[in-house]
Order: sequence, then structure tokens, then C-alpha cells
Amino acid sequence: MSKELLFISQHWNIEFNHAAGETASVFFRAIKERKEILGRRCPACKRVLLPPRSFCERCFVDTLEWVKVGKEGTIEAFTIVYEQFRGLPKPPYAIAYVLLDGASTAMVNFLKKVDLNNLQEALERIKIGARVKVVFKRKRRGRITDFWYELLHT
Amino acid sequence: MRVAILGVGQTSYEREKGISLDELVFEATKNALEDSGLNLQEIESVVTAGSDGLDGRAISNMTVSGSCGAYLKDEVKVSDGGIYGLVLAYLRVASGLFGNSLVVSWTKSSEVSPDTVGNLSFDPLYLREAGINPITYSAIQVSLYKHITGARDEDAAKVVVKNRGNALKNPLSHLKRKPSVKEIKSSRFVSYPLREIHIPPESDGACALVISSERWLKTRKKTGQKYAWIRGIGWSLEGYYRDEKKELVKLSSLRKAAKTAYKMAGIKNPAKEIDTAEVSDITAYHEIMIYEALGFCGDSEGIELVRKGVTEIDGELPVNPSGGILSSNPIFASSLVRVAEAALQVMGKAGERQVKGVNTALAQGFTWSGTQGSCVVILDNRI
Ligand SMILES: [Zn+2]
Repeated sequence: MSKELLFISQHWNIEFNHAAGETASVFFRAIKERKEILGRRCPACKRVLLPPRSFCERCFVDTLEWVKVGKEGTIEAFTIVYEQFRGLPKPPYAIAYVLLDGASTAMVNFLKKVDLNNLQEALERIKIGARVKVVFKRKRRGRITDFWYELLHT
Repeated sequence: MRVAILGVGQTSYEREKGISLDELVFEATKNALEDSGLNLQEIESVVTAGSDGLDGRAISNMTVSGSCGAYLKDEVKVSDGGIYGLVLAYLRVASGLFGNSLVVSWTKSSEVSPDTVGNLSFDPLYLREAGINPITYSAIQVSLYKHITGARDEDAAKVVVKNRGNALKNPLSHLKRKPSVKEIKSSRFVSYPLREIHIPPESDGACALVISSERWLKTRKKTGQKYAWIRGIGWSLEGYYRDEKKELVKLSSLRKAAKTAYKMAGIKNPAKEIDTAEVSDITAYHEIMIYEALGFCGDSEGIELVRKGVTEIDGELPVNPSGGILSSNPIFASSLVRVAEAALQVMGKAGERQVKGVNTALAQGFTWSGTQGSCVVILDNRI
């Protein structure tokens, strides 16, 4: 009898409909309809939270006030991806944590319009502390991918 | 009530073990029972820890219920890293509700793309579509850590060489080759600043422990076995959105967990009082970050420990004598393996990878990637 070991291939193909909730819906609609990025201020610690949350987990109070943050900011951390991961974009691409002006917490998104094929050259331009601007997609759907960052001084 | 680890069971770690998930778990559980000297009839509680996403089975503890010895027993699962299985088992036994417990964790990485499941473990609204998975998230953390501390590529290389070198002494290791520093420097960037070689392999494997209370042990015949006593244990969780710059690399939850565990164990100077540590080197740089969060050195001083060879197997404070996660990575079980290896060290049963004169050892685990959840366990062999 053959001793070959068998493998049974299966797929999970399940659709999830995640509720964004009231706060995130306002945030995504502002991006889609008005090209605005909105944070929420905690009345206790005064931090402007991005992504916006309906409550502050540290102070454990409701956040009530919307704050329009700047469309420019500073890179706090980043990576340049050279691996093709399943379900993620075709490499190379850069992802950055950016602290937008007026916000207290950084927001993750793609950093575009930098040639990443030569890593050393890319690192001359993408630096922690570098200034970036928010660029909006023309056709927006109310998703995080409706905007990305680009370096300000190029 | 005092609680001890009586026995440890592991499978070997490999890219693809030709056996099924339940066969894999059976092997580790059987080994743990044998090592402890207990038989399954004596076991009162079973705690399992696994990831349904990685297992490709909802409620995957049912798949392994027979193989982890849970048939008609009080089994309960945590859907979190294996070290959290120990947390729950410890609480069940320390409270006196159960005299003893098995703790079992596993992952068959070969059955799935762990990076894909990892991507799904991040927030669906803000992170998933922004390219975040365990590797890219770790890389972002590392970029800031390097910026703050001046940690260099060479420092990460030294950690890889150390752990992969230690792995040669561990017969269970997945990666059994010590790379040269030159080879590491030419390893391709997967997600800058992380090179392929700075990232753990994906392994198949399972790990199991048998623990019991001091009171239950007294009801048994004395065997002369050495036990690993749980002297301190602490765990903590930080924010879901960890978005403040300082929080990204501070490993706040780990600092809190360590503080709790040290206080319980009466440890005031961890660098002096801990003889060896098994930590979650989910990347080579993370091992260095962990030194700082555990108080082995001051902030930004982790690279000094690496450069001075303090954490080498023959150094003052050997870290990951087993080879660490950089050598074997059964993802969800990896944090329980840290406890198992630390227990072997204090029992004096670590074979060729035994560090000399270990009385007190530390084990540390994360929930998985992201490092938002951390657990620290202090073990010693004093009765
Ligand atoms: Zn607050």
C-alpha cells in the first residue's frame, strides 16, 4: 500500500458585514463627501483621537466633540514592504504612522509617490519626522483607502 | 496556594509535520504526562489555547478534545497565545478548585498562510486595508525603535546568530543552521527594516504542561522529581489603537505584567536575580526591546546587552537558550514553549542547552503579533 500522506484543501469564504458604528460612519462620510479628516476630543484628557472613537478608553468617558484635523502631518514610524503577501497590494509599497496636525494620535496609511525600487534612495526621502500631506482619491467609497500620504517637500 | 509545573511535553518543530492536528496535540500531551509522572486518570482540569483562524476550524478545541486528554474532563479554551492557557490553568489550580491541570497549545502553520490570518486579526475598518499584518506591523514598530535607540542591523544580526546558534543544541528546533553575520546582512528586506532572517519561521508544533498545587502534590507519594514553582505571574493589555508614538515601542503591557510578576516573586533587581529568560523574539529587534521592558537594562540600553554578549548562552543573563521563536515558531504555542523551556531550565532538564546554575528563570509571551498583550512568568526550583 502507498504511504503517501494526503492533504484536504479547503477555503473559508465567509462574508462579514462589520458595523462601523455612528462615530466611524461620520468619519468615513466626512472623507467621502467633504475630504475632511475628523478626530474626537476626549473631554477629560483633551486628546484628539484618530481614528475617532466614541469613548476614551483611558478616561472611560464619552467623547462628544468632533475636531477637524490638518491635512498635513509628520511621519512617526514606517515600513517599506518588498514581499507579496496574500490579499495585500503588489510590492513595493510604504506604510506610515502619521501624526496629523492637531491630532494626538497617529493614523496608519499608505505613503505613495516615492520610488521604492532602490531602498537606499527611498530612505533618503522617507524619514521619521518628515512632513507629509493627505491626498484624497477622486472616487471615494468611505474607506480608509480613500486617502494616502505623500511627502511634502520633494 | 503555591503551584508548580510538574512536567513538560513538546513535539519537534518542523515546517510541515506530516501528521494531523489531533495527532500533533496527542504527541505533546502524552509527552507532558510522561514527563510529569501522572496518568490521565489523575488529571482534573484541561486548559487549551489555540487560534480558530490558524486552525481553520471554528471551536478548534473540539478537534483536539480527545488528543489533549479532555474526554469527560473539565476542559476550557482561551483563544489567545499559549501562555494565557497557563494563566487560566494557574488560576484554576491556585484557587483550589482543581488539584492539577494540563495546559495545551498548538499551531500547524503549514496548513494555512499565517500572514493572511494575521492580517485578519487586525482592525477591519482602519488597519486591514492599510497593509497591516504581523510582519508589517512589527516592521513599523522596529523603525521607531531603531530611530529612538540607534539599534543597528548588526545588533539584530547578533541576536539572530545567538538564537540560531543556541537552537543547534535543542534537538526539537525547526531551523538547525547557524547563519553567518555576512549571510544575515545580505538577507533580503521583507518589510524594511526587517530582513527575512530577522523574522521567525512558520512551524508546526505543540506544547503541553502539567501543573499542580502544593496541596495536591502532598497527597501523592514523594518521587524526588524536581519541579518548577510558579513564583510570580502577571499579565496586562494595552490599547487596541496603539497610536501614540511613545506607546508604539514602549511595550507598556509587558512593563506592567513584569512589575506584577516581580512583585509577587519578590524580585527587586531582575538582571541580578534572574538566571535565564525565554522571551518572545517575534523579530530579532523585539528581543532587544523586551530586555528594556523587563528591566534587564535601562531604556535604550538593550543594544548594550547584545553588544557585550550579556544574553549569550554563556553570558551573565542568557536569553533564549532554546533558540527562541527565531528558531522554532508554532505560532500560538510559541509563548507556552517559552514557559516549557524556562521550566526545563529550572528543573535542570534542558540537556545540551542547559544554562549552568539556574534557580530562577523568566518566561514571557505576547498574545500574538502587535505586542499589545503580554504575560510574564517567574519560575524557580526552591521547595
Ligand atoms: Zn481621555
